[in-house]
Amino acid sequence: MSHVADDPRIIEFDVRTDEMLVNMGPQHPSTHGVLRLVLRTDGEVVSEVEPHIGYLHRCAEKIGENLTARQWIPYTDRMDYLAAMNMNLGWALAVEKLMKYQVSEKARHLRVLIAELGRIASHLVGMGAYGLDLGTFSPFLYAFREREKILDLFEEACGARLTYSYITVGGLTADLPPGWLGRCEAFLDQFEPIIKEYHALLTTNAIFVKRTANIGVMSRDLAIEYGCSGPVLRGSGVDQDMRRDGEAIYTAMYDGYAFEVAVMKDGHYPRDHEYPPVPADAVLGDCWHRFFVRMLEVVQSMDLVRQSIDRYSACKGPLGEPLKLAEKIPAGDAYLETEAPKGQMGFYLVSDGSAIPWRVRARSSSFSNLAVAPELCRGCLIADVPAIVGSLDIVMGEIDR
Amino acid sequence: MIPLAAIDWHSVFFFLFAALACGCAVAVVAAENVVRMALYLVLSLGATAGLFFLAGAEFVGAMQLMIYVGGTLVLLVFGVMLTAQAPFVSIKTAPGDRVLAGVIGAALLAVLLQSAFSVPEWRKPAAGRDGEPAATPLGMALLGTRVDEASAGAPGGVRSGYLLPFEIVSVHLLVVLVGAAYLARAKRRRTPRAIEVAASMEPPATVAAHAAVGREGSRGGSVLAGGAR
Amino acid sequence: MAEFLINSVGFPEWLAWTVTAVVAAVLILNVIAGGALVFIWAERKIAARIQDRLGPTRTGGRFGWLQSLADGIKLIAKEDLMPEGADGMLFRLAPYVSFCASFCAFIALPFAFDFVGQRLNVGVFFVVAVLGLEVFGVILAGYASASKWSLFGAMREAAQVVSYEVPLGMCVVVPVMLAGSMDLVTIAEKQAGWVTNWYLFHDPFTFVIFWVYVTCAVASVNRAPFDLAEAESELVAGFHTEYSGLRWSYFFMAEYGSMFLVSALAAVLFMGGWNGPIPVARLVGLSEGTGDTANYFVRLLGMANLLGKATLGVLVMMWVRWTLPRLRIDQVMTTCLKYCTPIAAAMFAGAMLWQLMLPGGVAPGLSRPAGEIREGWLEGPGGRSAAARSSAVAGVLP
Repeated sequence: MSHVADDPRIIEFDVRTDEMLVNMGPQHPSTHGVLRLVLRTDGEVVSEVEPHIGYLHRCAEKIGENLTARQWIPYTDRMDYLAAMNMNLGWALAVEKLMKYQVSEKARHLRVLIAELGRIASHLVGMGAYGLDLGTFSPFLYAFREREKILDLFEEACGARLTYSYITVGGLTADLPPGWLGRCEAFLDQFEPIIKEYHALLTTNAIFVKRTANIGVMSRDLAIEYGCSGPVLRGSGVDQDMRRDGEAIYTAMYDGYAFEVAVMKDGHYPRDHEYPPVPADAVLGDCWHRFFVRMLEVVQSMDLVRQSIDRYSACKGPLGEPLKLAEKIPAGDAYLETEAPKGQMGFYLVSDGSAIPWRVRARSSSFSNLAVAPELCRGCLIADVPAIVGSLDIVMGEIDR
Repeated sequence: MIPLAAIDWHSVFFFLFAALACGCAVAVVAAENVVRMALYLVLSLGATAGLFFLAGAEFVGAMQLMIYVGGTLVLLVFGVMLTAQAPFVSIKTAPGDRVLAGVIGAALLAVLLQSAFSVPEWRKPAAGRDGEPAATPLGMALLGTRVDEASAGAPGGVRSGYLLPFEIVSVHLLVVLVGAAYLARAKRRRTPRAIEVAASMEPPATVAAHAAVGREGSRGGSVLAGGAR
Repeated sequence: MAEFLINSVGFPEWLAWTVTAVVAAVLILNVIAGGALVFIWAERKIAARIQDRLGPTRTGGRFGWLQSLADGIKLIAKEDLMPEGADGMLFRLAPYVSFCASFCAFIALPFAFDFVGQRLNVGVFFVVAVLGLEVFGVILAGYASASKWSLFGAMREAAQVVSYEVPLGMCVVVPVMLAGSMDLVTIAEKQAGWVTNWYLFHDPFTFVIFWVYVTCAVASVNRAPFDLAEAESELVAGFHTEYSGLRWSYFFMAEYGSMFLVSALAAVLFMGGWNGPIPVARLVGLSEGTGDTANYFVRLLGMANLLGKATLGVLVMMWVRWTLPRLRIDQVMTTCLKYCTPIAAAMFAGAMLWQLMLPGGVAPGLSRPAGEIREGWLEGPGGRSAAARSSAVAGVLP
């Protein structure tokens, strides 16, 4: 028994303090929407965090069981509304998997192009909002400035700025307008040097590093146990990316594309571009690494967009029409996970042979990523809670569906 | 129009500050909420500082603001901390205590008044208000040189000033500081409770442990995660 | 001014003094209220420009310069809400406590040689002491709001301000030591002459301690990256979460007033106060006693100098705010206790030793001995003695 008493973690204070229960959210500036966190605090120290979700629940899955596959596309827009293109793609591919349908070569490259632009847009929001969580306002607006330009491109392509419904079952709703590729390339050329500014303002900023390095450290095992995915998983050093490791129908889309998964291997990140060095304080799996992985993926996605522009313009022939609105789906079931910006987004559908799926389910990456928050926040300070939750880059629309 | 020239502004302000100081002092006793008491105390002490300024003792006035009013800040913080859980707890004084306190207070006041009125110079208004005790001679006196007395040609040359009392007070304060730090420090105790807590909780231990470990706490994750590095 | 009214305009003495007092009070009040309006506008424009936006452009013409006024009207018209569980008296009182503390400190701040509300021989001490009282309003607000977020903000503010007063006090003591006086007017006067006479460039220690002062000053007025009391991403809005309307705006006026005050204090203590980098007035042959008009002109110039320097300080604070992330509470305390305080103490000792070893300043060949300039200003040809003038200035309260 004596060894227990000598445990250095057991420390008693003369002054006994009381705990306080604090509600962070659902209306709070830094809970990214309508997340409600119940904090049990002792002074500034948080002993327990409990996320409460469901404030944005809209029964999307049930609605999906009453609509045809193509009709449900707009509902996928509203899941991760910051990366609606990738949500469209996930659902379209899942349906195509069940139908064993293959889109044209041109549509395939256009999908890569659009999906990677969507990833950039999503990571820009994640990055900017993370700065906001840490109390710096300007990077947020710099990020949104660039995102606006991507939204302009999307608007030109499909007419919408937030909920696109562009990628759809059997292809895309329309081909790109003339001159679009040139404007896209111009955007990339203009955007590339700006990334250095983000690194200066955030990634390498001394205060930013102090606030994020060694905070909310998530081990490799913990990340896998909780089913984390995307940058959150890769930030912990797990080398997994659905674009490379996923199912054939998804990886075939990226066939022939050269990209290196943004993950720390053998003590260093990919060296395909010039990146700032990892600060000495940062521990693999902390908030800084999760953020940095996102920054790397922005560059990686830019490379992919450039490659897809080349391939898309090299493709002769038509884009192909998407499937009919009420195309019958063969009986059976299919599940497919794609690499959405925030992690692995899975869609599952069961069909009884009619046009309307019998069951529809979605597996949200943000949901699993948020689930690990209580583990990460245990024993941190109140100021670390936004830093940790922000580094998970969750979207409530996707969690609550 | 009121003949402003006829008003002795000095007296007006004196009475203003004096009334404020006395009124707030009474309010401290009468109030039932700890934080309000602290606020009244601040006002009372602040008004006293105003009286010092009025008397031309600017150094003492600023001292009063800095030390007493600033010190009450800590009192206020404690008040807030102690009553934060149940807001606005009121402190009720028993009637017997009130009488007792009144008697003691009145006795003290009588003693003070008696001694104040026994100083003949204080019975009539001072000749001038421009005494202006500058801060420099005060500081020099604390460091051991009475420049004021030397210039006045005091017998025996320059007097030694207040260096010794100053040092004694400094050391005394230092001791108090060290003592406070000793009392407030986190202690490791082998109380039955600690053992029980330790036995019942495996890693990331109690809240108290988290509080004490502070930043270490968040690294709990990384300890579990040795393999990740 | 009173003398001018008595001698030139022919006011009776009592009226002259009263008018002087009222004018002084109104001027100081306007510096805070008007200054706050201007600074809020400036902050919006600067934040906007830093963030690649335009900021206000419409209200009041091209630059939206009436925006703050429009906001003020909106705030006045807004309902002053009070939470049900709040302690009514303290809740209402708190903004005024903050504002009064910020306002009172201006009494002892000299804008130019004679332009000072009340010349105190412990001016520095007074300003620092009164500025520390602003925190009372914040704590009262946090407590009385009956909101946990407010309480967190208040406790953070208390911890932060109490801690930062220590290094701030040490920084302030250095110019006091160099000047041998706690009188702000004397301290500024001793730095008259060329820019090398400023205490900022007096010796390496003062140069370092100036930056420590800047850090502590930013922290003590709760500006980013030390704005933990209102940390909007953590504590919603910190201590003023429950405030709205005019009461809320009083906190802001206090904040901007304090920002201006610590900047002005930095200007007086380290950057020569109302003495410009080049002694223009002296070069063109103006000095004390050249004549009433010339005197007045010299002082106006001095005031422009001081206001310019203080405004510069405020602008730097805004620049910092819109660039840097916020520190965490333990990091703020670490900055104070582990860095600012020891550095300030070491620099204080260093400056003291320097003063003992090299009384002339950093480069005796370059900078004129401070004493000589001072004599020139204070007891120039035909000038009155400093003591006579200070007694003339002394009486806003007759």
